[in-house]
Amino acid sequence: MFEDEIRTIKRLGVRMILLQILNFASVIASGLMIWKGLSLVTNSESPIVVVLSGSMEPAFYRGDLLFLTNPVSELYKTGDITVYKIPGADIPIVHRVMETRDTPIKGWDKLNATTPHPVTQKLLTKGDNNAVDDLDLYQGIEWLERKHIVGKVRGFVPYVGYVTIAMNDFPQLKYALLGGLALLALFQRE
Amino acid sequence: MHSIFARLNNSTSLLSSCLMGLLFAISLTTFLFNEEAHGQIVPASVKVLDARLPRQRYRTQEAVFTQFNVTADLTPLFHWNTKQVFVYLQAEYNNSKGVQNEVVVWDRIVRRKSDAVIRTRAMSKYSIRDLTRSFKKIPGAHFTLKYNIMPYVGVLTSGDIARTSELVTFPAAQRAVS
Repeated sequence: MFEDEIRTIKRLGVRMILLQILNFASVIASGLMIWKGLSLVTNSESPIVVVLSGSMEPAFYRGDLLFLTNPVSELYKTGDITVYKIPGADIPIVHRVMETRDTPIKGWDKLNATTPHPVTQKLLTKGDNNAVDDLDLYQGIEWLERKHIVGKVRGFVPYVGYVTIAMNDFPQLKYALLGGLALLALFQRE
Repeated sequence: MHSIFARLNNSTSLLSSCLMGLLFAISLTTFLFNEEAHGQIVPASVKVLDARLPRQRYRTQEAVFTQFNVTADLTPLFHWNTKQVFVYLQAEYNNSKGVQNEVVVWDRIVRRKSDAVIRTRAMSKYSIRDLTRSFKKIPGAHFTLKYNIMPYVGVLTSGDIARTSELVTFPAAQRAVS
């Protein structure tokens, strides 16, 4: 069954295999670089997220892909759909901002300020498909603040993220895919 | 070279790049549609109540309940890449400590062009509360009707529909009838 492959390995020699492994590693590394680069440009720790719950239906369904940005120069406004992560909670939540409270910072001056805005924001969010606001989801925090927010939703592609949900639900699929890719990378002949 | 696997691989990669190009082009067309929606908001009733809000940390505080006559025509916002329009009415006011507040009091999701003409009495779905728990020192608020468009694919857009021309004043608080 694997005689063909073994024969190719013998023919190609160790150097060739090492080269293929190097190729594979560089593919993974460039993927990671793109991800981190995007992260840097958008100022968001994860600029692309997959919707995991139905709390924003009918706007977003499970498996939809969202593109986020989190520019320092912008304040959040009501109506914005934000992704936030409460410390201690394991998954980020995608919900809409319903209240903003901008408290002025005393003694803020433009030249030696640590924040670009003269205000600190307190936010309250709610899922479009939920009956009540998110106070109970905040785990004791009364208001959402900038530090909790991963980003604001700017772009949207439906269904694409379902692949990752499928991979999380069936881990075998993930290993099969990874293994298959690795094998392909090793044995692919130009 | 011309194995079934190679053919399959080539055709799926071509198909997926075509699909991505198409989706990108569709999402770009969003920028071509920039019609404005028009509407009007007229305050019908504004009440400040000494409310007991069981979910809040401070159980007794003043809360503002409003009713607005909202008329709006959102049909210009419905184009081929509009999945839904989120319409919302918000209050904007500054409190005595200089805190700038924006609070959504009413919202509606419009999913079809046939439902895009809105003529309704918008009763507050969400009450307005203040960080100081009182509206004694707050003369009133401006109200704005805004929208947020969800596309089938691409960028989310938003805009304003109407704004109250005069300050909507808050009356003195009254005991909530229990």
